[in-house]
Amino acid sequence: MKLQHTLGGLQGLGPVDFQKKVFVEAWETRIFGIHTAMMALSSHLDGSLPDYTMSDVPSTFKDIWTWADLRRGAEGISPFAYFQYRYYEKWLGGISGFFLEKGYITEDELTEFTEQYLKEGNMSTIPLPFKEEQGIDTQIIKYLEEGDSGRRTQQQPPMYQAGQKVKIADPDCNDHTRLPGYLRNKIGTIDLVYPDCYAYFPGPSDCLQTPQVSYSVKFEPKDIWGVEYSESGSTIYADLFECYIAGPA
Amino acid sequence: MTIPGDEMFSYSANRELESAAKVNALEALLIQKGVLSSSSVDKILDYFETRMGPFNGAKLVAKAWVDPEFKQLLIDDCNAACSQMDMPTGMSGAEGEIMRVAENTSTVHNLIICTLCSCYPWPTLGLPPYWFKDPTFRARAAREPRTVLQEFGLNLDDSTEIRVWDSSGQIRWWVLPERPAGTESMSEEELAKLITPEAMMGVAKVAK
Repeated sequence: MKLQHTLGGLQGLGPVDFQKKVFVEAWETRIFGIHTAMMALSSHLDGSLPDYTMSDVPSTFKDIWTWADLRRGAEGISPFAYFQYRYYEKWLGGISGFFLEKGYITEDELTEFTEQYLKEGNMSTIPLPFKEEQGIDTQIIKYLEEGDSGRRTQQQPPMYQAGQKVKIADPDCNDHTRLPGYLRNKIGTIDLVYPDCYAYFPGPSDCLQTPQVSYSVKFEPKDIWGVEYSESGSTIYADLFECYIAGPA
Repeated sequence: MTIPGDEMFSYSANRELESAAKVNALEALLIQKGVLSSSSVDKILDYFETRMGPFNGAKLVAKAWVDPEFKQLLIDDCNAACSQMDMPTGMSGAEGEIMRVAENTSTVHNLIICTLCSCYPWPTLGLPPYWFKDPTFRARAAREPRTVLQEFGLNLDDSTEIRVWDSSGQIRWWVLPERPAGTESMSEEELAKLITPEAMMGVAKVAK
């Protein structure tokens, strides 16, 4: 069982952070931008629905990078570290680690540059390098505008019908999941069968390698946490890929 | 007083500064090595200031309030509703390819969460606020939505059913909040100004 996969329903936590800002530090905007650019430059986009021709994009980035890769990083760290590091700190750690691992940058370079930007306890005013490449930015905007939909028109007969009671699966725990852990082995009701099929991002992620039917599944909180430890008067819905449903209940 | 194991959670006094320097270093290297253009990050940030943001969602909600047919379309097929309006290109783009709207009524209140990460409908709401990304919110809202909403200052009637939507799949969910009373004479533009990201994710109602 992995904490990062099973956050829903965790007890003993304090008050919610009511902060309405998207970013609380200016530096966070930069790692957000870097991650978004990487997704826009990902080599897997050649196979996506919109018409991307990644070989035409003049970037030296030649790897796959999607939300799944970012989350694999965050889901792979120690659960204690997951709470210790703030949201964008995890992004910075994961993404700098990725560029080091893939050999785009070296540890020495990163350290040297970091020290350049950090002078005597202050941020230096050295500007970022100036190197325009229009084709890179064109692709980035195109990605923001056209996205990367997982919907696939191939037809597969859904295994389950709206209104049907089902039991949720309990697969081996691995790198990355789209099954909220608190739903494992629980009984729910199919509320909606989403049309067509849905593909997930490339890389190791449970049973999500092939496009499949997806469902909105409805749960009574008492069926998840018991009457004593749940609230009445509420219902919880989760969108689940078909492979996360073990069978009829 | 120090609790054994405190060292695990001790931070450098220069925590933010070190992150800022490191991200600058990373961006500088990526530009130098041709991964990014020097304007890539700025262009992305500008996109979320001007093209993708809660101002889009607010427009859609305001129109749904004044036009019952549009409201039904928004609920049945959010992306189709977006394409009918004069909205920026990209309303079915990144993190909005497949959006769905849950309608609040006098008897049903919807709350959107993402217990696995922080899935958020970029085209209609822009980028998620810190509260939505907060692991405490993500954990507690799944089990005790009514209590969490009270902590947000939203006290719902006991008879109101709360529907919590965990965005664990391909859908990017958001909420069509109720139109507040006393706004009958307001224009769509004036109505749109009342509608907050918090109301469009279900942790608040729209106030007049």
